[in-house]
Amino acid sequence: MPSKKDSKNPTLKQIGLPKETLLGLYSNLLRTRMLDERFRKLFRQGRFAGTYFSAVGQEATTVGPTFGLRDEDIIAPSHREIGANVTKGVPLERIVAQVYARANSPDKGKSHPCHYGWQPKGVITPASTLAGQTIVGTGCAMGFKIQKKDNVVLAFFGEGSTSRGGWHEALNYAGIHKLPVVYICQNNLWAESVPATLQAGIKDFADRAKAYGFPGVTIDGNDVFEVHKTSVKAIERARKGEGPTLIECKTYRWYGHSEIDPADYRLQKELDEWKSKDPVNRAEELLMSLKVLETQKREALVEQFTQEIDEAVKICENEQYAEPEEAYNDVYSDQFPVIRSEEREAMS
Amino acid sequence: MKKITFIEGITQALDEEMERDKSVFMIGEDIGIYGGVFKATKGLLDKYGEERVIDAPISEVYIAGGSVGAAMVGMRPVPEIQFADFITPSMDQIIQQMAKMRYRTGGQWTCPMTMRVCCGADIGGGLYHSQTNEQWFFSQPGLIVVMPATPYDAKGLLKSAIRGDDPVIYFEHKRLYRWIKEEIPDEDFTVPIGKAALRNKGDDITIVSYGLMYHRALEAVKGLEKDGISVDLIDLRTLLPWDREMIFESVKKTSKVVLVQESPKTGGVMAEISASITEEMFDYLDAPVTRVCGLDVPVVPFAPPMEHFFLPNAEKITKAVKEVLEY
Repeated sequence: MPSKKDSKNPTLKQIGLPKETLLGLYSNLLRTRMLDERFRKLFRQGRFAGTYFSAVGQEATTVGPTFGLRDEDIIAPSHREIGANVTKGVPLERIVAQVYARANSPDKGKSHPCHYGWQPKGVITPASTLAGQTIVGTGCAMGFKIQKKDNVVLAFFGEGSTSRGGWHEALNYAGIHKLPVVYICQNNLWAESVPATLQAGIKDFADRAKAYGFPGVTIDGNDVFEVHKTSVKAIERARKGEGPTLIECKTYRWYGHSEIDPADYRLQKELDEWKSKDPVNRAEELLMSLKVLETQKREALVEQFTQEIDEAVKICENEQYAEPEEAYNDVYSDQFPVIRSEEREAMS
Repeated sequence: MKKITFIEGITQALDEEMERDKSVFMIGEDIGIYGGVFKATKGLLDKYGEERVIDAPISEVYIAGGSVGAAMVGMRPVPEIQFADFITPSMDQIIQQMAKMRYRTGGQWTCPMTMRVCCGADIGGGLYHSQTNEQWFFSQPGLIVVMPATPYDAKGLLKSAIRGDDPVIYFEHKRLYRWIKEEIPDEDFTVPIGKAALRNKGDDITIVSYGLMYHRALEAVKGLEKDGISVDLIDLRTLLPWDREMIFESVKKTSKVVLVQESPKTGGVMAEISASITEEMFDYLDAPVTRVCGLDVPVVPFAPPMEHFFLPNAEKITKAVKEVLEY
């Protein structure tokens, strides 16, 4: 019996995406959610150092835009883009290794948890300075334009980052030169503990695009299909040389800024409301009602992802940290080796 | 062989490297239509077009950070910061992105770019057109910092910087632009990064300097030689990583050192070199390592007598040398 809720659901035709895309988006959402919740559990068990920045609740904002990108396209992330890494096809083992800071981490253990980066898939290892990769990512787009390549850049940031001066300079430049970049603002209403109302005098952050001369759209960031469709349009526009788009995805992070933040600055009511708009459940219910997904298929996916995650965690727990002397490497090219302390002592 | 000015050395290096390698491009304020406020990029817009000679909006954050991004996807950007005084907005991008890209990504992403920074006093530029500010970058591992003193080095070091795979901050002293002339070879040449130049040989004392201050030291050396004092005069050329070998060899020989820099004394390049000599060469020293530097005040003051009071000169260097010799 179709429920009242189901009757409000759009038809396949109305959604306008092929079944493979619908399933692909859903399975990336699910895989991201499962991996993220596993990391939270592992952190509580003290299995890795530092802290962990969960993106649970806002997965659709990273999975939706990234799905279908080319390897050469660039992801310019911040610290809550686990979904972009999963969807871009970064090997799970490398993602886990990054959080564990082991020798098999792409950054060899130099960057802290959630600074995922994987050059073969075009993901920039981020700096913590907010809007940093928005600026650098815009520079990647400038490079592509000079090279006359039709690659695009997806730059991800929260609404809080839009308050920074460098963010403005980057979007201003991209507007002047019609650079192939799509700006994805994940407006999760909170920049650590500061509400969006103390971040800007506007309600919809997409309005900022007007000042740069390119389109800005505000969408439901918990509807992965809408996020995907809006992004595809923006990506096509960017590839054709027609310039950037700013997409504001309204969303919410379920947990604290990081796992050491109890997030007691928010009201339970607000959290409950957003939890009822869970992007994973919504996609799942819709696909079930459209008969694109069945319980059996879902269970198979859960089993597959559990195994993959188990396997990746096992590999990384058995992996060693890099030798401490690794600290001396990757400062410069081989032309300029760093002088080691023991060499200094030997000199004197 | 033909004689060129310091700024001609820069323009030639830019022109030749852009001609040689299509991935080299420039971005900066007033560098295109206007040819640069000092005309270092004159004629290059017409020759290479607006895609490779980009007149930037007033956006030092983007000029730095955007160049980092372009470098990561295979370009060789040569951004210009019009005055070292205006580099502060770029600091976030220089320190957090440019200097750390290779390191924080475990060598996955690199940043081969050369940021040209016009710097220095002694032209009556006033507070905000006279600073050198190289000390801020000297203390950031991951960056290469160079400051040539001669037209030959201006050209050769810029070429090495552009061709290399590391992020370079290239300081060009505006007082030198049209003051110094030098013969340079007609054929292509480069000057290696990380190597200082021994400009004068002597046994009594070592003077280390760079940029405009090298010329002030040279003037002092000429006077000292008349008094029978022979000097090893080292032009550092590359500040980071600095040429330990040449300086230490010279200290072994002379046992006395005077270090000269234009920027304020505290926390400068010469503070580090002084500490290293003291730490690693103590047994060879016959006198305290002595510095002649700009004043420890916030900025170069404008009124001409005050500006000259701020700056080291041949007289101050000579006095310091004599004190060290008499120690």
